[in-house]
Amino acid sequence: MNAPRRHSTALRDPAWLRTLLLTIALAFVALFLVLPLIAVFGYAIEKGFDVYLASVTDEDARSAIRLTLLVAAISVPANTIFGVAAAWLITRFTFSGKNLLVSLIDLPFAVSPVIAGLIYVLLFGAQSSLGSWLIAHDIKIIFAVPGIVLATTFVTFPFVARELIPLMQAQGSEEEQAALTLGAGGWSMFWRVVLPKIGWGLAYGVILCNARAIGEFGAVSVVSGHIRGVTNTMPLHVEILYNEYNRTAAFAVASLLALLALATLAVKQLVGWRMRRAEPEHDAA
Amino acid sequence: MSIELTDIAYRYADVIAIDGIDLSIESGELLALLGPSGCGKTTLLRVIAGLEFPDRGTVRFEGRDVTQVAARKRHVGLVFQHYALFNHLTVFENVAFGLRVRRFWRRPRRAELKRRVSELLDLVQLGELARRYPAQLSGGQRQRVALARALAVEPEILLLDEPFGALDARVRGELRRWLRGLHDRIHVTSVFVTHDQEEAFELADRIAVMNKGRIEQLADPQTLYTQPASPFVCRFLGEVNELPVALHERWTGVRDADAIAFVRPHDLELTPSRNTDAARIESVRDLGATVRIEARHPALLAPLIGIQERGRFAENALEPGQSVAIAARQWVIFRTGDITSR
Repeated sequence: MNAPRRHSTALRDPAWLRTLLLTIALAFVALFLVLPLIAVFGYAIEKGFDVYLASVTDEDARSAIRLTLLVAAISVPANTIFGVAAAWLITRFTFSGKNLLVSLIDLPFAVSPVIAGLIYVLLFGAQSSLGSWLIAHDIKIIFAVPGIVLATTFVTFPFVARELIPLMQAQGSEEEQAALTLGAGGWSMFWRVVLPKIGWGLAYGVILCNARAIGEFGAVSVVSGHIRGVTNTMPLHVEILYNEYNRTAAFAVASLLALLALATLAVKQLVGWRMRRAEPEHDAA
Repeated sequence: MSIELTDIAYRYADVIAIDGIDLSIESGELLALLGPSGCGKTTLLRVIAGLEFPDRGTVRFEGRDVTQVAARKRHVGLVFQHYALFNHLTVFENVAFGLRVRRFWRRPRRAELKRRVSELLDLVQLGELARRYPAQLSGGQRQRVALARALAVEPEILLLDEPFGALDARVRGELRRWLRGLHDRIHVTSVFVTHDQEEAFELADRIAVMNKGRIEQLADPQTLYTQPASPFVCRFLGEVNELPVALHERWTGVRDADAIAFVRPHDLELTPSRNTDAARIESVRDLGATVRIEARHPALLAPLIGIQERGRFAENALEPGQSVAIAARQWVIFRTGDITSR
């Protein structure tokens, strides 16, 4: 994962090649990453700051922001708890079906988000027997907030567990055993030994999970029903605005998403840096 | 606190780690579990600690059955081979851990806690390093932190898994003598695991030699050395020459064709001889205080090994190529049947 600290001079490429490769890489980054980002902010404020402010404080936009934050606030903690529990189970115990569980955790990465959304529509929609039972009891899941939360949770399911499993495998369980012999119960062992050990890795997983939860489009688009002010998340709101030729407003809301992404990236960098500093021994390995 | 193990058996999937062990350890004793890797010694230690539960048999502390008691309720101090220190905590907090995780009403107050941790750090001579983190310590210092941490909960039993395994030879020797001194002062019942017979001999009151999940012999070091119970014990405790009846009949007087004499290198006497079909010296190596002599005998596959003190060696002036007669000052006889059955 980490690049070796010292490079052999024998492996160094000639100067012209290095310059060429660097230029290509930088041009690529500029063209596909930096330029679009600038464009987002450029279009967002093309009609002035007042229009920008009006677009993002518009009633529907505010409701989309609220919904996105609400969905993230539910699915991120849920996946954090699940991820820690699953990683603990997989790295500390042997049981039949363990490999199946590991594969299942990866399923949301393998399945297209649109299909993930469709699964929920088929499962809870009016056509299914479960769906009709729900309608009979006046419980709305599809085309309502619960469906959006479910779809987002499904898509962001693997992030925390995937981050923790290799980390906890590498760390082993000796410190936990030491804590046991010193009289620590499960709860104090978790807070005093396990959590500090996996802390930065966990933070990293949660940040990635959160980024995806906020930005998820495909799965949410299928289950949401696009009801303005009710079931529109920020990415869906951007799409609607854009389809209505309201380019400035669309980019204004998109710029908020971009800002969130940039902030996430910054925090992720910071955490990644802290993680490498906190685990010097694992780095060397 | 005494420990009694009765008929303990333990298996990992399809490997038998412990195959019916009975062992009683007296209160205040320092006992070594000695054996080659894979003999089940570490598993046995973990069974005593409560980190593994045996498939069969009982573990008793001072007569009380603790077989099903969880590790955290056994009050046993365990020092891990690789220390297993909490890397995110300072030396002080590592040692204080066992006190901090106690239930509220048993937890010592702040001043009391500080006093006890400082006492322990002084005991292991690490008072100066209380604020350091484990990553900033040397191997020997980490080992002592692990020991202080285990002692902080005032265990009546102290278990050590290969306590000196990861240290370099010089530190190992110092720490060994220091630990023996510590045990003489605090008298906690201690069991340690090692594969190094020298370590076991230097530290332990009694040694249990283990092989393939069983105890081959349990005795004090002297008995173990002079009266090994089996060829395995004899071989495991150091180099040994195995002589068939033709080579030892003259000095042992044993006429049994199956009797093999086990002779330690320093008990082997090699004296110049005119008989040219006897053993012939192959090499002589000066080891400083002693001289190591290897000789070939036509009837043996392995070379004969003799170790002589420098002064004694000078008297005989043995050199390669010379024919020598073989005799022994001390020996143990095992029959071929005993050897092949092991």
